Amino acid sequence: MKKTVLVLLLLMLLLTGCRRYAGILPYAREIEDMELIRTLGVDGAEGAGVAITASGDRAQEETQVVSGQAGTISAAVLELQGEGSSYLYFGHVTQLLLGEELARRGVMPSLNYVLRDVEMRLETALYLVRGGTAGQAIEKAAADGSATDRLEALADDAGLTANSMPRTVKDVLAELDRQGASFVPAVLADGGLTAAGYGILKDGALVGWAEGDAALGVNLIFGKVDADVVEVQAPDGAKAALRVVGAAASVGPVWDGDRLTGLKVHCEVDANLAEGSAMPDEATLSALEEELARVEAERMEAALALSRTLDADYLGLRASAAFRTPWRKTALLGSFSMAGLKLEASARAVIQRSYHADG
Amino acid sequence: MPSNRENGQTHPHPRREPRYPGPITLARLEEIFRDCVDFVRRTVWVGEDPRRALTLCYLSGMVKMERISDYLLRPMAQDPELARCAGAAPMMERMRQGALYNLAVEERDSLDQVVFDLVGGWCVFLFPGESTVLSCFVGTEEKRSVSAPDSETVLKGAKDAFVESVRTNTSIVRRHLKAPELRIQEQIVGRQSATLVDILYIEGITNPHLVEQVAARLREIDIDGVFSTGAIEEYIVPAARTPFPLVQYTQRSDRFCAGLAQGRVGVLIDGIPLGYLAPAVLGNFLQAPQDKSSSWLLATALTILRYFCMFTTLLLPALYTAMVTFHQEMIPTRLALSIIAAKQNVPFRSAFEVIVLLIAFEILQEAGLRLPQSIGQTVSIIGGLVVGSAAVEAKIVSPAVLIVVAVAGIAGYTMPSQELGGALRIWRFVLVLLSSWAGLFGTVMGAAVLIVHLAGIESFGVPYLTPFAVGTGVHSREHVLLRRPMPRIKDRPGALKPRNRRKQR
Repeated sequence: MKKTVLVLLLLMLLLTGCRRYAGILPYAREIEDMELIRTLGVDGAEGAGVAITASGDRAQEETQVVSGQAGTISAAVLELQGEGSSYLYFGHVTQLLLGEELARRGVMPSLNYVLRDVEMRLETALYLVRGGTAGQAIEKAAADGSATDRLEALADDAGLTANSMPRTVKDVLAELDRQGASFVPAVLADGGLTAAGYGILKDGALVGWAEGDAALGVNLIFGKVDADVVEVQAPDGAKAALRVVGAAASVGPVWDGDRLTGLKVHCEVDANLAEGSAMPDEATLSALEEELARVEAERMEAALALSRTLDADYLGLRASAAFRTPWRKTALLGSFSMAGLKLEASARAVIQRSYHADG
Repeated sequence: MPSNRENGQTHPHPRREPRYPGPITLARLEEIFRDCVDFVRRTVWVGEDPRRALTLCYLSGMVKMERISDYLLRPMAQDPELARCAGAAPMMERMRQGALYNLAVEERDSLDQVVFDLVGGWCVFLFPGESTVLSCFVGTEEKRSVSAPDSETVLKGAKDAFVESVRTNTSIVRRHLKAPELRIQEQIVGRQSATLVDILYIEGITNPHLVEQVAARLREIDIDGVFSTGAIEEYIVPAARTPFPLVQYTQRSDRFCAGLAQGRVGVLIDGIPLGYLAPAVLGNFLQAPQDKSSSWLLATALTILRYFCMFTTLLLPALYTAMVTFHQEMIPTRLALSIIAAKQNVPFRSAFEVIVLLIAFEILQEAGLRLPQSIGQTVSIIGGLVVGSAAVEAKIVSPAVLIVVAVAGIAGYTMPSQELGGALRIWRFVLVLLSSWAGLFGTVMGAAVLIVHLAGIESFGVPYLTPFAVGTGVHSREHVLLRRPMPRIKDRPGALKPRNRRKQR
């Protein structure tokens, strides 16, 4: 009996799908012979080809930026392997940068490569390079540190800046499939890889950018605000700095009979008084709260305007509304279009306390 | 001369019963104990009458001389009623009934019994013309005094550890378990050593079938002698099939008695200062004696820690080998970079490094055990620190492997049972070999085989993985990881099938 079980277990090895290597067993490769690639950039190249740029980690002595070009990403990666003495290992790629030109052409081949490759991970953070190529961005960042460190710092500080948030390949692929549109944080191809809002993807290609207030509005709708500072004018003319420490948005549908006519986004904003008087009187406080609510509503309006203009539900508003009214899920999720819908934003702000010792 | 050896094969040599047939005569005893300088025979006159002479036989050194003189010879010389007995038979009967002061006086009618009495510290009176003899226990009681256990640390608890004398050990148990239901059966094991082996249990609690099983397996033992613990252990459990221990031993009498009160069967062996408890399952070997003396929260935390350490010592080197060689994506990036940096210029493959270091660890451990304690510590320090750090500095091994092997080794030392620790060490090698061959597939395969193996073994009918995996029809509700507060542990382990499940009000 036991022997039979053992034989069956051994035979199950054949079902593991590892025959793509020489035998049924996985392929052994010593870790010290590897160069861990941390950041991978993909750009469009001549014709329909792609150029890839890979950057290792600063901790590795042989860290270098390597690049290759071919018709497909797989072929370009293979070309890269032949360049260095070590095996380039893509299992630790944590950032994937896509150039603007390639993104306008279509991001799906790059995302599908991540999906299919055995080494790459769907949890890889995805960025678009605005006004440049991924190769330029990586090389400039490598000259002053590494692209990986910079992008990791950017992801860590996203809540503080409130105009960027990390998005993974898995998030974007899922949203493109579910709602036909998505958004990806954008960076500039400067040495510091400065955050530059979001690139909006529709039908697998870049169709526009959300920047400034629109980018801040995206973060508000997604509640990704940890410590944004909003400067408002108090009724007495003094300037007050309000630190937004939390935001929670909800989306509600507007119906005309059975027809969806619009979506209302409401955001509850929590803030603290960072600068200004110690703790103002009730009237002043209410005025400050109203002013903050107005500013935040305008930001969300900017993000919603993009959705309407581009006819792209990149914020997933329909899906959010379907959560609130699941009995009308079919009507809400039956279409991706946002063109004919009236999108409204409102906000209510609450100032919880002052940072002043008397507050 | 007949040989029992043909073509290199030996034939069974069944035990002869009785070993010494025939009548009990002085000549026969002298023949049996010929060339034995310690065999003593002496003629004793009863009432100073040479016509009433008896023969006293004993083995010098095995008996206490004062007892013979005071309890046997003095009343024989001074009792006038003995001298007036008409014939040997009435004299023997009177001596047996109380003329002798000795506590144990038995009439023996078989030579076999007499011979083993003499070896056991009894002296024998042979009466002329009688086929039976009187045997009196006058054995010496030279033995090591009861002291604290040296292999099991006692912080809170009884310090009366078992000694080499089985009778002393049974008395210690009696002092802890004063219930008259405590039963002590005795068997003699070993053709040459004739070792006393006692089976202890509490009637009314212990499953009688379990007692009968233990007794039957002891009866089947036919070996030269019981000179080591394996002589009993390996014969009463299927030890050839597994490196895992199937009976639990302890030096601590309180732990032994707690086992008996649980419904387990105890075995005490003369000459071995240990008590055995059966059945024993995996969970028993991960419980430390002090668990019952500590707070239930602390004991639970420590038990969970021990289970964690068991998995660490078993799997860590294999997982390291698999991840570093086959599944680098599983390693957190920063750690992977550290490992790469540490392994630069190390000439050996990771699997080779792990195996060599594991062997070196075993060698160091063995060297430390075999040497006197002070030198052993020196060897450990030189081996562990000096050679280890030198090997790392010389880039012969990487620090990561050294840490992995050391952590696995130290985690193994947390096992309360050295036998379990030893079995885990063997399986650790197997898993490392499998992982170096097939990565995580190999490791998982090895772990699966180990689980199948553990699930397939039993200790006296109790599945070894109880209560994680129990036999069909057995509903186990025991806690192994959680040591509940004592007032809540109402029942004895169901797997032992005790006659009385309830252990408290």
